[in-house]
Amino acid sequence: MMLEPAQRAGDAPRTAPEQGSPDVPTRFPVLLDGTPTEACRRAERAEWLRRRRLERQLHDGASLRISALTLQIGLIRHRLPVSDLDASVDALQDELHAVLQELRDVAGQIYPPLLDQAGLGPALNEVAESINAPVRVRAADERFGPAAEGAAYYAVGGCLVALDPEAPVVELAVRRDTEVRIGPVLVVELAGLDVRHAEPMLEQVWRLGGTIDRTRETGIGTITVRIPCE
Amino acid sequence: MRVALAEDGALFREGLLMLLQAAGHEVVGSTADGDSLVELLATQPADAAILDIRMPPEPDGGLITAERLRAAHPNMGLLFLSHYAESHYLMRILQIGTDSIGYRLKEKVGSVDVLSDTLSRIGDGEIVIEPVLAKRLVERPRGDKKGVIATLSERETDVLRLMAEGRSNNGIAAQLFVTPKAVEKHIANIFGKLNLHADTAEHHRRVLAVLTYLRSQRDGD
Repeated sequence: MMLEPAQRAGDAPRTAPEQGSPDVPTRFPVLLDGTPTEACRRAERAEWLRRRRLERQLHDGASLRISALTLQIGLIRHRLPVSDLDASVDALQDELHAVLQELRDVAGQIYPPLLDQAGLGPALNEVAESINAPVRVRAADERFGPAAEGAAYYAVGGCLVALDPEAPVVELAVRRDTEVRIGPVLVVELAGLDVRHAEPMLEQVWRLGGTIDRTRETGIGTITVRIPCE
Repeated sequence: MRVALAEDGALFREGLLMLLQAAGHEVVGSTADGDSLVELLATQPADAAILDIRMPPEPDGGLITAERLRAAHPNMGLLFLSHYAESHYLMRILQIGTDSIGYRLKEKVGSVDVLSDTLSRIGDGEIVIEPVLAKRLVERPRGDKKGVIATLSERETDVLRLMAEGRSNNGIAAQLFVTPKAVEKHIANIFGKLNLHADTAEHHRRVLAVLTYLRSQRDGD
């Protein structure tokens, strides 16, 4: 991965000295060599759909069957006279709960169910709740399609998990933008964090034609993720 | 109790129906989607409705159905069952109502005792929250709340966890084998440390205050 200020056509505005104007905000895009072809973007979108389908299959299939099994075990226990088996039945049901928790973990790594059901704002809010660093999430109930939402979730979620617990509060905003020649774009802005977090985020979004930029090259600043969306 | 249920997974729906009957409840109807349940309950009286969150009408038909049921039958208890215990859904559920309402994991109601206890607490007007979720909320409060929660004693943390499950003072006392008077004292201490108003005497308001505190972001939003 190569990291340097914007040199690619269409990546304006450039750095302040090149622009020569103090009024234009300074942006430092994080770049990879080359840009994804349309075929690559299509394949990536299909891959996100496949992941979402797998998560739904897990929910509607194996998970629901195991949940139904706990009911059947409860029914058998009720029909049998009180016995020493009660403790074994409890243990069996606890074990099924543990199996389901493991399946939930797997599902979360394939495609987070909350992301599918409720969207990027609630899903990122859930991540913000699970970490020690303070993060304030601002997001409307808007949907952007499974590919853009999936890529943004793993890029931004990974960044949130890596935040220093002692760091000051990070402001996270999710919104929709429209770009000439590209169309609708999902924008996630993270303000008040170390801009080094921008680097690993690019890996998640670039195959969809997504871009990442920072307001400065080092230190505390704002990172902006932009991904073409539905 | 007279109970109706809506769940799109046939296997789970049938299992739940049989367990409810075994527990001595009268199942007035069971459907595979929310709209059919609303239709059924327009003519059929029931004390409680059990709803899957993730069912038709997609994506989260259980919530939409519950809103319609609460508007049409304000006294009917609502129990949400889900494969996931998410605080996002908990807050959505508490926006629908803060009394006679419950949210539990599907695999955690698999016994006659638990199912009946959950339904009877809802029948008594309580909020019932999945213990797994209440525990997570108390153990993993948002970053800036961690410091305050850490100042609670072990017993106060136990009381807070049971409060987050929606349990009443008597319910907490029974779980911890202490007197309701002792529970009151712990709750006063907790509210003092959390800087919440201790005058929220009404049970469900008190639960709501605790849950909102545990989940809220900075600046109280």
